[in-house]
Amino acid sequence: MRGLTPFAIRSLLHRRVRTALTIAGVALGVGVLYASLATSAGIDGSIDRTVRDLVGRADLRVAALGEAGLGQATVAAIAGTPGVAIVSPEIQVRTFLQRDPAVPATVPEAAGYRDPVAVLGVDPAAYPSVHAPAIAAGSMLKAGGPAGIVMTERLASETGLGVGSSVTLLGSAASGPVTYPIVGIVAGDGPVPGALGRSILMPLPTVSTIFDVTAATRVDLVAAPAASPAAIADELKTRITGQPYVLSTPADIAASLTASTADFRGLTALIAAIALFIGAFLIFNTLSMTVGERVRDVGLLRAAGTTRRQVNAIVLVQAATIGVVGSVVGLAVGFILDVAIALLVRSIGDVRLDTVVVPPAGLALAVVVGIAVTLVAALEPARRAGLIPPVEALRARVDPAVLRPHVRWLAAILVVVAVAGFIVWPGGIGRVGVLRPILVYAILIAGTFLVPLLLVPLGRVAGLPFRILLPLEERLGRSSLLRDRGRATLTVGALMVGVATVVALVATAADIRAAASAYLTDVLPGDMIVSSIRPAAASEGLADQLGLVRGVARVSPVASFDVALDGVRTDAAAIVGRDFLVDGRLTFVGGDRTAALQAIDSGGAVILPRSVAERLHATVNDRLALLGSAPTPVQLTVAGIVDRSVPGRTGDAVLVGWPDAPALGVAGADYFVVRFAPGARAAAQPALEQAARELALEPRSLEEIEGSVGGALGRVFDLFDALALVAVIVAGLGIVNTLTMSVAERIREIGILRAVGMTRRQVGRMVLVEAGILGMVGAVVGVAVGLVAGVAMTFASVGASAVGLAIPWLQIVLVGVFGLAVAMLAAWQPARIAASVSIVDAVKFD
Amino acid sequence: MPPILEARGLTKQYPLGGTTVEALRGVSLAVEEGEFVALMGPSGSGKSTLLQLLGGLDRPTSGEVVLEGEEISRLSDEAATRIRREKTGFVFQFFNLVPLLNVVENIGLPFTIAGADLRNRDVAERIREVVALVDLIGKERHRPDQLSAGEQQRVAVARALVTRPSILFADEPTGNLDYTTGLEILGALWRSCVERRQTIVLITHDAKAAAYADRVFFVQDGRVLEEIPLGRREDHAAAPLISRLAQLGL
Repeated sequence: MRGLTPFAIRSLLHRRVRTALTIAGVALGVGVLYASLATSAGIDGSIDRTVRDLVGRADLRVAALGEAGLGQATVAAIAGTPGVAIVSPEIQVRTFLQRDPAVPATVPEAAGYRDPVAVLGVDPAAYPSVHAPAIAAGSMLKAGGPAGIVMTERLASETGLGVGSSVTLLGSAASGPVTYPIVGIVAGDGPVPGALGRSILMPLPTVSTIFDVTAATRVDLVAAPAASPAAIADELKTRITGQPYVLSTPADIAASLTASTADFRGLTALIAAIALFIGAFLIFNTLSMTVGERVRDVGLLRAAGTTRRQVNAIVLVQAATIGVVGSVVGLAVGFILDVAIALLVRSIGDVRLDTVVVPPAGLALAVVVGIAVTLVAALEPARRAGLIPPVEALRARVDPAVLRPHVRWLAAILVVVAVAGFIVWPGGIGRVGVLRPILVYAILIAGTFLVPLLLVPLGRVAGLPFRILLPLEERLGRSSLLRDRGRATLTVGALMVGVATVVALVATAADIRAAASAYLTDVLPGDMIVSSIRPAAASEGLADQLGLVRGVARVSPVASFDVALDGVRTDAAAIVGRDFLVDGRLTFVGGDRTAALQAIDSGGAVILPRSVAERLHATVNDRLALLGSAPTPVQLTVAGIVDRSVPGRTGDAVLVGWPDAPALGVAGADYFVVRFAPGARAAAQPALEQAARELALEPRSLEEIEGSVGGALGRVFDLFDALALVAVIVAGLGIVNTLTMSVAERIREIGILRAVGMTRRQVGRMVLVEAGILGMVGAVVGVAVGLVAGVAMTFASVGASAVGLAIPWLQIVLVGVFGLAVAMLAAWQPARIAASVSIVDAVKFD
Repeated sequence: MPPILEARGLTKQYPLGGTTVEALRGVSLAVEEGEFVALMGPSGSGKSTLLQLLGGLDRPTSGEVVLEGEEISRLSDEAATRIRREKTGFVFQFFNLVPLLNVVENIGLPFTIAGADLRNRDVAERIREVVALVDLIGKERHRPDQLSAGEQQRVAVARALVTRPSILFADEPTGNLDYTTGLEILGALWRSCVERRQTIVLITHDAKAAAYADRVFFVQDGRVLEEIPLGRREDHAAAPLISRLAQLGL
């Protein structure tokens, strides 16, 4: 074979542009794959860091369920559990920093005071042994040391403060603003990941005093060297009986964070698989073309004694060359993509994507998968090259059947990409995370196998617009496409897969965005949300004070809390039914709206969201036992069932009235929904925001909340859209190849057409029309398949959304047009080649 | 009456590697309307190059080609295409049909290219006429792969004739056919010449085929070596031509 290697390489070099395009296709596939693996590794690293930040070297974390927290008795019970070496209780509250009047509002640092900060009350003696915080400046809090706070590096930079500065924070209504010196700066984002780096550490007793909270939010504990965390966990279950709690290990927290990134990783991996899949189409086309052009040469080699196996090897050497070069270039592309992903996405929930990791296993895997897919894609052309008989060297015309690809070849590629996907699949992805990509992949495969069946009828329909304007070109172009249905299927299939992926992502993103925004505006009875840093009891009169702001029509308090329903943690909310009734909020699917909302205000009743009602098989008038953070369950009657309810932490909340809230352990409102008087919003909003800040409340408009939900989603989906568009462009490279091959095969025919009077322009148009039909079929099938995939993705993850499927038709039409445009653009060069065919050469061509 | 086609001092040079190949070295000839002319010569003599220049498929290095009084060797591509569509017809050695089109569509291709509808009465009549001339009645809807080699070449002849071109160029039209099938093609060309006064320029290296012509030009080394007048003869006997060639030592 060594002697034939130069022949293989020379064949590739002879068609430099085509070889370069194919390498680009492989590089893009490998690039997306590497970026997916590297991002996944980055997420894993970030999860490790987050878990470390959260629990340090603690073996177990006992977190309070509900607002009552973990009382002194519970903390003492934990500390007294055999095998527990260190106990570190923490109280976490939110508050605002008060800007030093000396800092003008115009300086950039003033913005650092706008958002709330998380205050973590810690035991200065125990905390450092559990968390070992990295101190960037100053010192850590010391037991019995002077009063002070430790601030995160990020918050210090946002506010322009440092060690030695004083900071004023808003305490409870009783203590008011309090000022402390900063004694230390803790490196990075600090121990409260959800706070986006805006957190401060204070001694536990101080926090307890200034915020009027005695119970711990959580207790981290370290087991003694000989003790088993599992045994301690078992013992804790018998000891802590008075208050509800959640016990977790660092592994549990890591698993939950991993699960929260499942969708993102699943989608990235799916797009990588699709990019590889399309890359494989391209390789197949290119090598088929190379073999097609070299039939005579291969025939001569065979006549001269080259074995079939040697001929196979020539094609495989070409594939390996493309695979190796493409994979190496792909790694560079992948690195750039990975950096772009980190910059664009920034964070997925609590997991920050702020570091770029170069995983050696990812590097190796991407190269191996890239080369493997290339070689598998080359198997069929290699086999066909081996079948070329020596007599072909003597024939005037090559029998095209020798080179015709079979669609069944696709099955091999699909299997290899699926196996590759299985190997590289990121771990820790839950059921939905796996289900979605499998579903989408299955739909795309089904769509690809539909293409050969639809090619003739759709080709005829797609040709209609061209037939009106260019009947001859349409007739010849369409017939030419159908001449080699296998190749046309591969090309249309690649384009279809690309377009379908973009459409599916666009449709899914639009549905999720629409659901997110409709969710808030359809459910909450107001224009603005003012949230409290801690439960605000009715006796504090915050709602009344906000209601005094001119232009405010109504202030409706809402408490978010957890209840156990049928043994499962469920989100719950206490609301004022009357306010929802007046505003016409909530869509009832069971029970009477007026009766149900009045019933919860009277007490003894609950309104269930549809999802909870279905889980419990509950209907109106059923009796349910709700267990809150108070020790005894509360029996409530189901007064109604609503389609979507007030948002809780993880899903729709069950709704109770304020009369039942204390029995469920609710201390006060977490936020107030404010409705402005008609036409008064513009004037009233700034006044309300001012009043809210003075009361240590955080005001946010619904639009702002929707914007932040939409913005985060938007960044993720924009990224996926961009990656999928890359897949369409790779498919475009495939079209360049297909049409060039089609033109090369028809040189003689084109010469004849020119000889009988067809102009260069007509010949060029014929190729463009061919591409147009190809593009239109790919775009139409792609849009249809993409919509099915999008609907399936939405149903697989969230079920039917409240607002029905929000299909962004304009965007989808634009994607279809983009697919068509890529196809037409891809035809440009082949059309030029066809138009420049010399009649003299063509009729000599054999 | 002026000749329908005239070549004046045609030369053609090709670059090949670092050298220049002289394919034609000053060829002049004239073809009268309704005449059947054959260009004979060994391989590499320049006869195919001459036909390409005469048919406006290629441009000469020097000299000129005049077709029906119009100098065609310096025309733009657009104009040369128009001439090909309106005034000339071509038949090549290999079966130059479009495989996707049936017999009628292949024959009607020049009309389709010109934007005419094949269902138009005049166009359909012309197609019917040439289908009958080349004896393909009953096979109008067949595709090329359903036809024999001879039938395919007869379709190519019919396509070249359907526009009633001023002149028909046939480059080795029987070169790829067996003896009997070759005679069918030559018969069809002959009938068109006799019945329709079709001017024909035939390239061949076969004396039996050249014997269908009224005049034979023998080309060698890029020059017309000899012009052999045969006259119009029903029997197409090759003996007079062969004996004349023998006299010349060719």
